[in-house]
Amino acid sequence: MHPAPSIILFTVLSGFGFGLTSIVGLLQFLNQISMVDIIIFSSMGLFFSTIGLISSFFHLANKKNAIKSMSQWQTSWLSREAISSIFCLSIVVGNIGWIFVQNMYISEVGIILFLLSLITVFTTSMIYAQLKTVPSWNNMLTPTLFIFAALAGGSILITDHASLVLLLIFAVLQVLFWYIADRSFIDIETTVGTALGFSKNEDIRAFDAAHTNRNYLLNEMVYKVARKHAVKIRYISFFAAFVLPMSLILIFPGNFSVSVLIIASHLVGIYFSRWLFFAEAKHSVSFYYQ
Amino acid sequence: MTKLPKCEDKKLGLLIDLDTCVGCHGCVVSCKEWNSSGDEKQLSDTNSHQKDPVGTFLNRVHSYERKNSSTNETESFYFPRSCLHCEDAPCVTVCPTGASYKREEDGIVLVNEDDCMGCGLCAWACPYGARELDLVSGVMKKCTLCIDRIYSEELPPEDRVPVCVKSCPTGARAFGDFNDPNSDVSKKVKERGGVDLMPEMQTKPVNKYLLPRIKSKSPVSSIGSVVEEETEATGLLGWVDRALSKL
Repeated sequence: MHPAPSIILFTVLSGFGFGLTSIVGLLQFLNQISMVDIIIFSSMGLFFSTIGLISSFFHLANKKNAIKSMSQWQTSWLSREAISSIFCLSIVVGNIGWIFVQNMYISEVGIILFLLSLITVFTTSMIYAQLKTVPSWNNMLTPTLFIFAALAGGSILITDHASLVLLLIFAVLQVLFWYIADRSFIDIETTVGTALGFSKNEDIRAFDAAHTNRNYLLNEMVYKVARKHAVKIRYISFFAAFVLPMSLILIFPGNFSVSVLIIASHLVGIYFSRWLFFAEAKHSVSFYYQ
Repeated sequence: MTKLPKCEDKKLGLLIDLDTCVGCHGCVVSCKEWNSSGDEKQLSDTNSHQKDPVGTFLNRVHSYERKNSSTNETESFYFPRSCLHCEDAPCVTVCPTGASYKREEDGIVLVNEDDCMGCGLCAWACPYGARELDLVSGVMKKCTLCIDRIYSEELPPEDRVPVCVKSCPTGARAFGDFNDPNSDVSKKVKERGGVDLMPEMQTKPVNKYLLPRIKSKSPVSSIGSVVEEETEATGLLGWVDRALSKL
């Protein structure tokens, strides 16, 4: 699949933003966070989520109809994501506003914020996980990975030990995802044979192209460029997202300025991971072009 | 709106005979022409008279060769690919704006361009690559089963079929109601064993394909045997052959 920068930034930044708001929400519910920290970290979450959502807006080819994406929540995960993110961000704003006006917070709002943030990340991940056409995404590991990415990223600035545990879980999930994604196209029922109406094990190959130049389908769904560097990019991603952040957390616990560096490194790592998430994913339409 | 209807009345679709298709791309050209004509419709092209032209098409014809396991010879066939108007169309349910829909009265899957925001998710959800995003208008394009022809009251009755069916020079494409067991397409599906594409995707396509019939005798080896017979010619040719051989 085509790794569009607008979509990668959307999943990375909104995931991080909603991760922050979920952690703030959880700590608010447990009364383990100060009002100042709620304001600072929820505002950061709001900022990153909004940048992510704006980024996804730039992916649209016909932006004027974007508002209509809130209408089909009964069947569409993308529609659910749009509604859920707007709803969640409104609660974040309301929560901050309440602290400013009343000089106190309602801890119960925290659990709503925690759940709604994670539901939003879940709906984002289901946009991809629902697609039977992309076997490497079409399993429950995809939402699990997205949710732990959000929780781990969101916890780095706020907590120490918890973020180490969450990063470790996320790292394991990430390796598991790569392991399963590599094998996802080996086990599936679809082959060039079934794509053309024959049985699974037919010996068929294209001897002439259906069109003389590239087209939308090839650009969007039969993306091949730079897959050859995939293994190297996995190492870079793993180092930046997990190894460096976890080492720095262990060496400089509770150091806020180092945390900013950790976040930067982590997000770069996640960016590479999401680039691979798209670039390595193979769509069933590619069978018609082999 | 993106909830799928039952479509108990009619299931309109195409029956494509891969045994008859000669891969002339006539359906591709006529489809592009019909769906680019008129005031509101367009299937755009970019760089159309320059280097690297790209364009939107609703129908593509692929060319394949398949090893016949019984004769061990390779046989070529042509494969027109377009929207299959699936009963469980994943492209419809993923649509966030309600632009994609399946008509209850005849099962045709359409895009309402006034609602489409061009996110491209429906094209990702389609296993068959039947949807292409038009780069100029920014909205998703797909086969309409020539809804503006089949229900037209202006066109003569014999023209009220999809233009790809009308234009096919070999009659490899047929249009009809797959819900009616007495329709020509249903009878042919029964007689020749019509198949679904990627049945494992559980999309339940309405369009069916008739696969190339197995050729009992390999054309390659029969040409070979003709050549061999000529080397052992009889009669006048045989005399010439023998005479020349002695020279």
